[in-house]
Amino acid sequence: MKSLSATANTKILIAGIIVLAVAVAIIAVVKFDTTGKRGSGLGREFIYDLGDLGKVDPNLILYKESAQAIDTGFTESRAIALNSRGTIYVAGDKSVRKFDENGNNLGEIKLNDAPMCLTIDTDGKIYIAMKNHVQIYDDQHKLLTTWQSLGKNAVLTGIAVSKNDVFVADAGNRIVHHLDKTGKLINRIGDKDKDRNIPGFIIPSPHFDLAVAPDGLLRVVNPGNHRIEAYTYNGDLEFSWGKFSNTDLKGFCGCCNPVNFAILADESFVTVEKGLTRLKIYDPEGAFVGVVAGPEQLVQEGTPRICDTAAECQTGSFDVAVDESGRIFVIDTIKNVVRTFTRNPQKQ
Amino acid sequence: MSKNPQQEQTRRQMLIAALRYGALGLLGATGGAAVFAGKKNNTQNTVWQIDPEICIACGNCATYCVLEESAVKCVHAYAICGYCRICFGFFGPEPADINEAAENQLCPTGAIKRTFVEDPYYEYTIDESLCMGCGKCVKGCSTFGNGSLYLQVRHDRCKNCNECSIAAACPSGAYKRVPADKPYLLKRVDHV
Repeated sequence: MKSLSATANTKILIAGIIVLAVAVAIIAVVKFDTTGKRGSGLGREFIYDLGDLGKVDPNLILYKESAQAIDTGFTESRAIALNSRGTIYVAGDKSVRKFDENGNNLGEIKLNDAPMCLTIDTDGKIYIAMKNHVQIYDDQHKLLTTWQSLGKNAVLTGIAVSKNDVFVADAGNRIVHHLDKTGKLINRIGDKDKDRNIPGFIIPSPHFDLAVAPDGLLRVVNPGNHRIEAYTYNGDLEFSWGKFSNTDLKGFCGCCNPVNFAILADESFVTVEKGLTRLKIYDPEGAFVGVVAGPEQLVQEGTPRICDTAAECQTGSFDVAVDESGRIFVIDTIKNVVRTFTRNPQKQ
Repeated sequence: MSKNPQQEQTRRQMLIAALRYGALGLLGATGGAAVFAGKKNNTQNTVWQIDPEICIACGNCATYCVLEESAVKCVHAYAICGYCRICFGFFGPEPADINEAAENQLCPTGAIKRTFVEDPYYEYTIDESLCMGCGKCVKGCSTFGNGSLYLQVRHDRCKNCNECSIAAACPSGAYKRVPADKPYLLKRVDHV
């Protein structure tokens, strides 16, 4: 009788242990975070939060998106330019594609390599900067000439033309090449020179833009100094404007901004920043006017989304072009579409 | 005594069955051994590493490692670094001033050292003894800068567990096995 009772107790004990083990196993499986989405459990001091910095006061947003985005079909778009008739040219992958304002594809220039940036002259010639040299096409997409390489270290990121001159921003060598329209080098602009009070360009990343302003001076971004500098064609620094600030919307954020800009018909500036991706307007003297679009409008509607992976962050620098009526065309290098913004008449 | 044919058939059947099960057992044992050997071989010839292009610097590497001090550390690709004066891998998003004061620094453990090179360039180095692999600096550098700071598993301390708990908790799938003779996934200069 005693033996029977002992056997029963042993069985109960074994059953209990088994039940306990199964329960522990189930809890362990359920509790174990196999997705990692429950977070690291680290305190707030370990979290990188730009949520508040990404928000822009809606009263400061003076523009609205005014047209359906144009799908470029590129997997890696890089630059945008407009001709005098309003045709949109987008450089990406290994070609340049033309679109009308309704998004109709008007043709393509196929290239052997990736185009970095482009500009359209008043006569319709298309100047395309590759990594280290410039190619020129006529408006029928016929290759007219290929200029000599500007050196093995050259990384061309911006190009502008005036009546007789071509200016090429070279992020690799941190200078602007000033050439004539045959491709002959006239001078270098921006070499560090204490005697001429030229600080030199600080270009931590391959974002270095320039434009010829209606006042006859060249405007060049000095991104590491967070400003836009005005140079004569001879390379004299006349003046500059811009300041760093991550908290004040009037300043340029991050290590090195703005990355691109365009000049409107009224000589004011449209600037593009990376990091906190945003487009802003400054008057011809560099005073802050307002915002075209902030991270909430540009990256993901509704939430100020900041990039996640390093690769995504590095492709987040948009390019911009403007037409004579003041419309702003942005190449969204994340979605590879052209977005159009016009001034909101209700926001003056 | 006459033989019982049914009994004889049963013995034959039993023999055949024994042979079948024996063969099946042998096959199973061979297969199991092969799988085990393969897994062992896989573990011996591969190591865990983080793909910096996929990593989202979520912070899990700091807390999920079975080691008390995570085997994941921040490393620096100097060739990619812009040597920025205002580096957002070093400074918090809203620095009160651009200097090395502790309140301006991003790293919660002070693992990043800033050294003046020449105006306006600064060099940033990681003190691995202080780095806990939280990836906060990686996030800042990727968002605003060139992404030269990134996380890697340091193989002088990683135990190369079969089932790595960081890998299981990696939300972006950046944690993967790589050949042991190429144990690091290093970032390279790519301006274009």
